Amino acid sequence: MRKSRKPLANQHNLTAYTFLLPWLIGFFCLTLGPMLGSLYLSLTKYNLLTPPQWIGFANYIEIFKEDDTFSNSLWLTIKYVFISVPLRLAFALMVAMVLNKGIRALGIYRTIYYIPSLLGGSVAIAIVWRQIFDGSGLVNQFLGWFGIQGPSWISHPSYIVYTIISLSIWQFGSAMVIFLAGLKQVPADLYEAAQVDGANKVRQFFRITLPMLSPVIFFNLVMSIINSFQAFTPAFVIGDGRGGPLDATMFYTLYLYMKGFSFFDMGYASALAWIMLLIIGAFTAIIFVTSKYWVFYGDSKEGR
Amino acid sequence: MRQRLIILVLAMLMVFTAACSSGTSSNGAKNQNGAGGNEVSQVELRIMWWGDQKRADITNEALKIFQEKNPGIKVVGEFAPSTGYFDKLNTQLASGTAPDIFFLGGNVVDYANKEVLLDLSPYVDKELNLSDMDQSMIQYGTIGGKLLHISAGANARGVVVNKTMLEKAGIPVPTDGWNWEDFARISKEISDKLGSGIYGTYNMSIDGMDIGLKQQGKQLYDMDKGTLGFEEADALKWFQYWDTAAKSGGVVPSELQVSNPPGDTSKSLVVTGKVAMSLIPSNQLAAIQGLTQDELIMVQVPRGEKGTGVVFESSQGLSGYAKTKHPKEVATLLSFFINDPDVAKILGNDRGVPVTSANRTLLESNANDVEKIVYDYTSRVSEATKTEPFAVSYNPPGFSEYSKLAETTMYEVGFGRKSVEQAVSDFYSGTVKIFKNNQ
Repeated sequence: MRKSRKPLANQHNLTAYTFLLPWLIGFFCLTLGPMLGSLYLSLTKYNLLTPPQWIGFANYIEIFKEDDTFSNSLWLTIKYVFISVPLRLAFALMVAMVLNKGIRALGIYRTIYYIPSLLGGSVAIAIVWRQIFDGSGLVNQFLGWFGIQGPSWISHPSYIVYTIISLSIWQFGSAMVIFLAGLKQVPADLYEAAQVDGANKVRQFFRITLPMLSPVIFFNLVMSIINSFQAFTPAFVIGDGRGGPLDATMFYTLYLYMKGFSFFDMGYASALAWIMLLIIGAFTAIIFVTSKYWVFYGDSKEGR
Repeated sequence: MRQRLIILVLAMLMVFTAACSSGTSSNGAKNQNGAGGNEVSQVELRIMWWGDQKRADITNEALKIFQEKNPGIKVVGEFAPSTGYFDKLNTQLASGTAPDIFFLGGNVVDYANKEVLLDLSPYVDKELNLSDMDQSMIQYGTIGGKLLHISAGANARGVVVNKTMLEKAGIPVPTDGWNWEDFARISKEISDKLGSGIYGTYNMSIDGMDIGLKQQGKQLYDMDKGTLGFEEADALKWFQYWDTAAKSGGVVPSELQVSNPPGDTSKSLVVTGKVAMSLIPSNQLAAIQGLTQDELIMVQVPRGEKGTGVVFESSQGLSGYAKTKHPKEVATLLSFFINDPDVAKILGNDRGVPVTSANRTLLESNANDVEKIVYDYTSRVSEATKTEPFAVSYNPPGFSEYSKLAETTMYEVGFGRKSVEQAVSDFYSGTVKIFKNNQ
């Protein structure tokens, strides 16, 4: 038994690395160099046009000590992630469960609901979103039927972030497709047994569906958090492209971009980028560490 | 069947990667070149500007004439909307692939400081003919003793007034020589008389800030000394005036100004007849008038202590890239752009009034009604500056960061997030910091 396991594991690894190969090539040939370059630049004052000057950790010190825009944009981004990710996943799971009821033409629905995920990051959709949430846009016309005078969602600093969050929720498709695949994996006999024991639908959901789905939730959560931290296009297009009004759309990535390309401070922007990497890394690590308490692998006991 | 499918997919992948790699390895100019020229002897120039489709059309037409008259030079034009233009330019400058010629505005100092602009002095009176150009414009483009910038049009800022709206409200149309008290009173009257949703004026506290400072005998940036030209108290006075005016109801509220910024003619509330007055550069009048039936006129900026603070100055201009391979051809094109009468006819006043007197006379003789208003206005400003001269305004170094800060300050007050005193105090310390950072 022991003897045969190792070659099998090797074979598994080989397959895995083969599939990883395109990514690995891309990483080593395209990504790694610029990354190390930016690490160096983050320790310099570099205005893009004249050679960088070494200033040690001055950029980092300034970011943490003096930069209000940094802390504001970080909180805004965290707020965005913490509201949009759970909502998007919940919505995706809900739709996936409806689709999993065995309706006809599932393929068509699945495709239709997936489309927003493909389109959602694009500039065109963000512009459409602007129109929908404008002062005299679709949403306010709808509210008007009920006699509610809605504000201009995209131009008031208190509301605009929710416009962007709603756009993010609308892109639930990719998470939904993964949930749908996960739901199909849940053995039907578990539900049958639960039914026989008299468990209602809610109990079945919390006792069977969620635990059986936890690896998929885990995956979706990690991917969504990483993606949401890097949200750029919606903030850039729905806002005024400069973080306005009143820095209400000043997402972290947008601030980084403006520092680098508009304000000629690429060293500072590089430092911001590395801080972002560490923050995303920390969040991902937290999820991984806690995962053993809440992620349940149905097949873990039997081994591979 | 399945094998065929796999081959097809692989083939498509290869095409895709090939397309990607060619996109990154060669710059835009080469790509565009691929379609057209096989002539080896031709020099190719790239030129980039900002603006709308109309401007792009007429600029391309002008470039076409240039190529017909200069068969040895091929010109490739690129343009971007004003919002993304400078980011695009900065990126290209950083990677060393900037166009040979690009347009700059009041931020020319930023680029001059970074030494990316071509010194045109050696080409004057050879390829570059400036004999007919206004002396003040040549001076404007001379920074640190080098000729780095050729103005492509001049304008003077002023208040555009919707005469039709004022007549409807029964308010006498303001004339040159009015002051800020008059301005606030008239704005409020318009708002009061024409009902909800209609306002007297846009909030000009940012766009007009340098004017407001000049009227107090100060300025945003003292180019000669290389220092900021104002104190916190000067800015506070200006912002307080606008805060009071806004609270009385005559000014477009911040929420509306965010969604309909005055600089964007496609969204401007002046065009839709919701706002009666706004501060504009004179070359924009035609664009705005073209979108509304109401009658628009231009009035000088309300007077402060020292006068109007407005001068007839360069609105934007052309600069060469320091690393261009063809500086002579760059100079030829710049010369052509400001001197050629056919080009002047095509471009009109889109970028401002022509900077050479011959072309100015040419256009004035063919002016339509709107253009006549503009010429009349700019000559009034020129006349006024003879008795009340003001320095030409250059933007301070770090201008894009500064203007972002200024805008934030306006909205902090407008949305009630900070008191005027607090906002201006933060504004001033931020400005000093940006200024130091970019020197």
